[in-house]
Parts: sequence; structure tokens; C-alpha cells
Amino acid sequence: MYTMGLDFGSTASKGVVLKDGKEIVCTAIITSGTGTSGPERVKEKLLTESNLLESDMEAVVVTGYGRMTYQGAKKQISELSCHAKGVHFLVPDVGTVIDIGGQDIKALLLDKNGNLSNFVMNDKCAAGTGRFLDVMAGVLETEVSMLGEISMMSKSPVNISSTCTVFAESEVISHLSAGVNKEDIIAGIHISVAGRVAALAKRVGIKDKVVMVGGVAKNIGVVKAMEDALGKNIEVPKLAQLTGALGAALFAFEALNK
Amino acid sequence: MTTIDNLISELEHVAENPREAVADYLSKTGSKAVGVAPVYTPEELVHAAGMLPVGIWGGQNVTLDLAKQYFPAFCNSVVFTCMELALKGTYNQLSAAIIPGMDDTLICLGQNWKAAIKDIPFITLVYPQNRKLSAGVKYLVSELENVKKELEKVCGKEISEEAIFNSIDIYNEHRKTMREFVELAAKHPNSINNVQRSHIIKSAYFMLKEEHTQKVKLINDELKKLPEEKYDGHKIITTGFILDSKEILEIMESNALRIVGDDIAHETRQFRTDVPRKENALLSIATQWSEIEGCSFAYDPFRIRGKMVAKLAKDRDAEGVVFALLKFCDTEEYDAPILLDDIHDAGLKAVTIEIDQESGSIEQIRTRLQTFAEML
Repeated sequence: MYTMGLDFGSTASKGVVLKDGKEIVCTAIITSGTGTSGPERVKEKLLTESNLLESDMEAVVVTGYGRMTYQGAKKQISELSCHAKGVHFLVPDVGTVIDIGGQDIKALLLDKNGNLSNFVMNDKCAAGTGRFLDVMAGVLETEVSMLGEISMMSKSPVNISSTCTVFAESEVISHLSAGVNKEDIIAGIHISVAGRVAALAKRVGIKDKVVMVGGVAKNIGVVKAMEDALGKNIEVPKLAQLTGALGAALFAFEALNK
Repeated sequence: MTTIDNLISELEHVAENPREAVADYLSKTGSKAVGVAPVYTPEELVHAAGMLPVGIWGGQNVTLDLAKQYFPAFCNSVVFTCMELALKGTYNQLSAAIIPGMDDTLICLGQNWKAAIKDIPFITLVYPQNRKLSAGVKYLVSELENVKKELEKVCGKEISEEAIFNSIDIYNEHRKTMREFVELAAKHPNSINNVQRSHIIKSAYFMLKEEHTQKVKLINDELKKLPEEKYDGHKIITTGFILDSKEILEIMESNALRIVGDDIAHETRQFRTDVPRKENALLSIATQWSEIEGCSFAYDPFRIRGKMVAKLAKDRDAEGVVFALLKFCDTEEYDAPILLDDIHDAGLKAVTIEIDQESGSIEQIRTRLQTFAEML
């Protein structure tokens, strides 16, 4: 029995095909989010790569920012519930999940059975999100995917405000203008992101194990800065960007078996 | 339509068309209307003067333009939209406005109003935070004397002691009726949905209280005829400053979250505490302020609001609490940590949503409420 989970975020579309609620058959990520061709392309990619037909999918559940507008799913479920479900599948002893996506930061507290017991989200502000890093990478003329690696070379990170993306951008320009090394500026940006996210996560409670997911979890610099800010080791699953889609596929399987 | 549907529809129309309701009052009576700003105002004095007290609590999806000259960016949207609507002439039916200085932002609203809105006189009123001391009550009486004098200038006649006591009785009867309504609505969650509940409460801001009481009593009578109902969803309590956005209330509906009680300043906090009978009318009104409990704007060293909300949730068999936190309202924000701790300690789940009247973007609120419903 195959189920599909789709996660249409603000900057990327992700999908997972699951067999019998246990085996991950196929995953796909398209770096175009809701409102673009991303949602259709990720579905096509999943079917092509898995050699399955849409009719083979017993149930499809959709999540993410674009979940309300997608018509081809059995059900839509919030991304927070899906991330909790997906992370618990990959890391059964997870306590706290931190998800930094394109425009949202979420911290989830799970009980011992993997149920979501509390959560917090950022307010409507880009500071600390993936978008914040995109803006900073643009100012620094660097690929966002390179930020983590570059920051690891820093010896003396600068101080960057974590209050506002626009203010932080002007601070970065000031540092560049003053001739500060890029690696120190990037490390400072990561510390700034970590400070903001850690403050949010502490509001919901930090419980071992701490797992980080979402696109920003691929940035080793942010993960290290988060570990420093929380004083805890952080586990990043291999499928960190796909836990929402995985959770959706698991919910689809559960819906069939209810 | 049934009787109850007709009554609800009538009040919903008033809540959605306040200007029409006020215009109707003015043309029928030839009297005047006076704006009453958040959080508490001595509406009884306006009523006793033969004028209509009109609630001014901002508005949804108001584009801010002129008000930006008067407030910094980090200012709550109720105050911002109140100022914007006043500057744009939306409140031009009002002959005066009572703006109580209950926190720093409201003090600024009064001061800015005085400076900018010349054709709607500002009536100041400062509530003492040492409200339980006899000196605090005495001070509030002196403030109310000033409000009374200012209102007498507007209506052109003296406001008698007898008229104030009569208005107090009318308002207490309204409070009692509204308390009964919210209890009956909780027992009939399939008959009164979130939007209807909100509209019925909100319509009181644009009608004479005796007329509103009469309509709500009829709704109550109809509800009493119905058997108690079981709701096939999640019963919740709301707390916060204001939660009258139809879009947000409908998101709750679509996620099967039904409001069965509230601790919202714009809603139940307005009718939770009666004005007690004292030796004179102004002392009676002033004493009410010392008896208000569980409100972020009324100093409480014991911080019992969270416990009150938790008790209400237990009494109404609610599973969780939605905290509608008015963005940039520091008075409400200071309450948040203790409030949420007390709610969690009572074994209830809670979610915070951020209320911003200026913004039409509600997707993040949708995600929070949907997740909350899934969590329940």
C-alpha cells in the first residue's frame, strides 16, 4: 500500500512516497514553493522516480504553506503536526523539534509517544528564517548553500542584531565596508539566527533529544551556533528537509487504517 | 427563518454596520453620540445624559496612512486604527470621545486625539492603579465628576443623580443578560457559532443597552427552549484584548474550535462585573473599578487571570485556550507568561495567536489554529 505526502513550503516543494507506512520508497525536493510550478513538478518527479502511477497512491496528504490551495489530496494537515510525526518516525526518542523554514521558525515539544504537546512559531518577521539567510547571502555575494562551510573558518565572529532583517542587512554592509572578513560576518549572522531561534525554542521547552529540521538545518554553521546557544547537542536527520512530507505520508497511511 | 435566526441576524447587521446603527439612533432621537474607547469607560454617564455611547475599538483591515504621523511603528493596531479612522472622519457622528488613560499607549491616543481631532472633543479619564485603596476610589470619583461636567457641556443639560442610578440599573441588567447569554451559548454550541456569538456581543457597542438587553433576552428565551447540545469538535475558551475578526473566527469554525467562554476585554470583561449600589452614583461607578478582577489593565499583585481562565475552561468543559494577543500591546504581553503557565498547570492546552487589525494576512494564524485543533 503506497501513500504520498506533499509539503508545499514558501520556497521549496517536497514529497515522500511511503510503502505500508514504514518504508520510504522515494523522496523529491524542488526548489520552488507554493504558487509556482513546484507542487506539480515534485509530484511528477516522485511518480517518475518511483515508477508508480498516481492511481497507485492509496491516499495523499498535503501540508505546508500551500496546503490550502492544493486540490489533489485526501486531506490537508498543518506542517507542525506533520513535522512532529515525521521526526518521531526518524528519531523515536525526540523531545524538541526546531524547524527553520523559508519564512517560519517553529519549535515543537513532543511527548514520549511522539504526540505534539506544545508549539511556538515566530511572529510575522523574517529575522532568523531561511529568508533572512537568503538576504544575507545576497549582500555577501555568496551562495546560500555555502554559508555553513564558510562560517566554519571564522576566528572572530562579529556581532549582528537579531531584531530585524533590514537592520541586520545594513549592519552587514557596514562590516563589509569596514573590511571585516566574510567568514566572520557569516558566523556572526549564524549566531544572530541561533540567538533568535533559541529564545523562541526556550519558550516551548528544551527536552532531549533536540532535533533540527527544515532547509536551514543543512547549514552546519547555524546548527553549531544553535548547539552553543542551547548548550545541547542537536541531531539533524538525513531527511531534514523532508520531515513535513514524511509526516504527511504517515498521516495518509494512518487515515487509511482508521 | 426562525425567531432566533431573525434576532441573531438583526444584531449581526448592527455589528457589521455600526455607522448605520448610529445614524439611525441620531435621526430617530435627535440626540448625540459619544465615543467610548477601550478598555473601560463610565458609559452609564453618557447614557444618563440621554446620549448613545458608541464603542470605538478600531476596525479590521484599515490601511494606515494618516495615523503614522502620530504613533511609532511598534504600536498596537487598535489604537492605530482608532486614530486613523478618527483622522479620516469615520467617527464624525460623534460629539465627543472618552478615552481612558489605562496604559501608556491609550494615554498617547488621548493626547494625540486632543491635538489632531479638533471637531470631536476629547474627554480625559485616568483610572487609578491603586484601585483597591479608598484613596484610589476617591480619586476616581473626582475623575468621574470631571467626565460628568464635560458630558454636560456636550448634552447641554445637567445629568441628575437619579438619571445616573437609573442608567446603572439598565447597565447592570444588560450585564446580567449578557452573562446569561454567554452561558446559554456555551450550552448550545451547535446553535450559536463563533461569529454569531461575537456579533451579538459586539452589537451592544452601537445600541442603547436597554434595547440590546431586550433583543438578547429574547435570544436567551429561545435558547432556553432547546435541549443542551453536544458539540462534535473542540470546545475552547478565548482570552485577550479583542477577537472580532470574522476571518479568524471562521478559521476556528473550519477547524471545529467552538468558543464556549471568553476572557476578552472587548467581550465578557465588559459585563463580568456589576456596578455595586453605593450612597451616590459616581461612587458606585468608581467602586466597580476596584472590584474588577483578572484584567491586564487592572493592577493585580496576585495575577489571578490565568487561574480564572483555567476555572472558566473547567466549568465550561473546554479542552483548551486561545490567547488572542494584541500585537504590540505590552499590557497584555506582560500578562502572557504567567497566564500561559497557569493555563498549562491546570492541564489545559493553549495557543497564542497574534492579533493585528491592520493586517489582512492570516495564514500564520490559520496554521497555528489548525495545529492547535490537531493537537487537541
